[in-house]
Amino acid sequence: MKITFWGVRGSYPVPGAATVRYGGQTSCVEARSAAGDCVIVDAGTGMRALGNKLVREMTGPQRYNVLLSHVHWDHIQGLPFFSPAYVPGTKIAVHALLTAADELQQVIGGITRHEFFPMPLEAVPAQFEFHQVEPGVEFDLGAFHVTPIALNHPFGSVGYRIDGDGSSWAYIADTAPFTDVLHKQHFLAGPEPLSDGDKTSLGTMREALLRKLQGVDTVVYDTHFLPDEYARFPHFGHSTPDQALEICVEAKVRRLVLYHHAPSHSDEQMDQIAAQYLAKGEKLGIEVLTSFEGMTLPIGVEPAT
Amino acid sequence: MKIRFWGVRGSFAMSGRDFLRYGGNTTSVELRTDAGERLLIDLGTGATELAKTLMGSEFGKGQGKLPILLSHTHLDHIQGLPFFTPFFIKGNEIRILGANPASSQLEATLQNQLAPHYSPLNGLENLAAGVSIETFTPGQALSLPGFEVQTAALPHGNMWTTGFRITADGKTVTYLSDVEYPNVEDPLPTAIALAQDADLLIHDAMHADHDYDQRRGWGHSPARAGVVVAERAGAKKLALFHHSPDATDDMIDEVVQRTSARTAVPVFAAAEGSYLDV
Repeated sequence: MKITFWGVRGSYPVPGAATVRYGGQTSCVEARSAAGDCVIVDAGTGMRALGNKLVREMTGPQRYNVLLSHVHWDHIQGLPFFSPAYVPGTKIAVHALLTAADELQQVIGGITRHEFFPMPLEAVPAQFEFHQVEPGVEFDLGAFHVTPIALNHPFGSVGYRIDGDGSSWAYIADTAPFTDVLHKQHFLAGPEPLSDGDKTSLGTMREALLRKLQGVDTVVYDTHFLPDEYARFPHFGHSTPDQALEICVEAKVRRLVLYHHAPSHSDEQMDQIAAQYLAKGEKLGIEVLTSFEGMTLPIGVEPAT
Repeated sequence: MKIRFWGVRGSFAMSGRDFLRYGGNTTSVELRTDAGERLLIDLGTGATELAKTLMGSEFGKGQGKLPILLSHTHLDHIQGLPFFTPFFIKGNEIRILGANPASSQLEATLQNQLAPHYSPLNGLENLAAGVSIETFTPGQALSLPGFEVQTAALPHGNMWTTGFRITADGKTVTYLSDVEYPNVEDPLPTAIALAQDADLLIHDAMHADHDYDQRRGWGHSPARAGVVVAERAGAKKLALFHHSPDATDDMIDEVVQRTSARTAVPVFAAAEGSYLDV
């Protein structure tokens, strides 16, 4: 199994000279098994380039599985620009957490309402299916075994542990740490005081995450913020590399990949972050990589040749 | 009047080396009068770049006032809204002016963009700045501080967009983005009227002329449509705008070259970050 990063940025796409090397497109990761099975995690703007590649390689209509962490714009905006959707015969199965009162189909269909996009979902040639995921309820997608994990993000978010080809990786985005703020179903203008019940909920969420990540080979984690940025915006629903490292150390993970970079972080800053956390990780026995657009990672320790 | 292009890309923000000279951010254009009044057209991702500049001015202190004209609400024209930082500073007064989309209301559409499943902002009411959503009927004239604006509805695929003719300091800029005329060789009189004797015409040029045939009906113009409007209207200069996400810098250079060769009107491709004294 290998994974490829098509979009590594958080919040919104950031074109320009400052993001040429790490990339400016938003969340999208492709996992591929040795046999060629594919699963796409998140449908941010990086999905456009992935779709163009898939169409170039296409030998006939395909079925694609798309796992969504949540449906904030930066995680779904690529979907209307995913070119396989315009190839008749294509099937696209979208798996997501049901967070709002609306049906999932309405949420996804809503992004192609005529006010937002020229072609409504019903007019798109591909056939769409919608599946609701629930934290803790595991399922199989071809060569992959998928475990959804509840995360701490405004209006809910879900991470995925994905097992395949005898190894495993996990996609843990978007999430705040499990200490300062409990995200619920309302707008937070700032951090709210935690009740005892909130603290218990956070503890339970953290325990479940640690349990599911136990021994995972590679963890891709929302590390949007540097510590000083997090201190100013703890209620935005994102983590720092230090918080990700803490989780990975406890879960005995081999490798951490920094992901969902803040739109304000230039390539130079990303170089510094990459170097700083590579060194920090080494001391803790964890390989820390910083994702960039186009990066492909084999999952699992390479067999010695 | 001065103009600055903050986002010139159509449909989709493009990052990477191939898009550095013309820029990858989606549509947003700032106009400034000699006296310093501002007007913004469209809130694509380019607006997030302008926001950084504005935060260093009165907008960072909650004393900024800004009218924003929306041509329409396709995502590439409103994508920057949730990240336009002056919205988060109490005291700023921001007016969003646009036509109601067909069978919908402008305010409901923007609320839907910020609905809780799509955005943690959970609604316009959570923006700290004073935000007013004001609708007009295309054809109606608008009087904004420092600017006189004429509006007209123009066809954009299965919906309508608004074209703007903006006059300030005795100069006129016409903004015709996201338009496709039923007959490219014979643009609609409403478009020509808006561009009449304009000092600068900004026109949709999503498609290269040779690509247009396969993309007819998608709601966008080939580069030559802007030429016909500029020539018939007697516009003094033509800015090709709303570049295709597939158009690399080199491809845009080529379009400019070919388009220039067919007209006496000076033609250039709008580039992100560039200033122009109208």
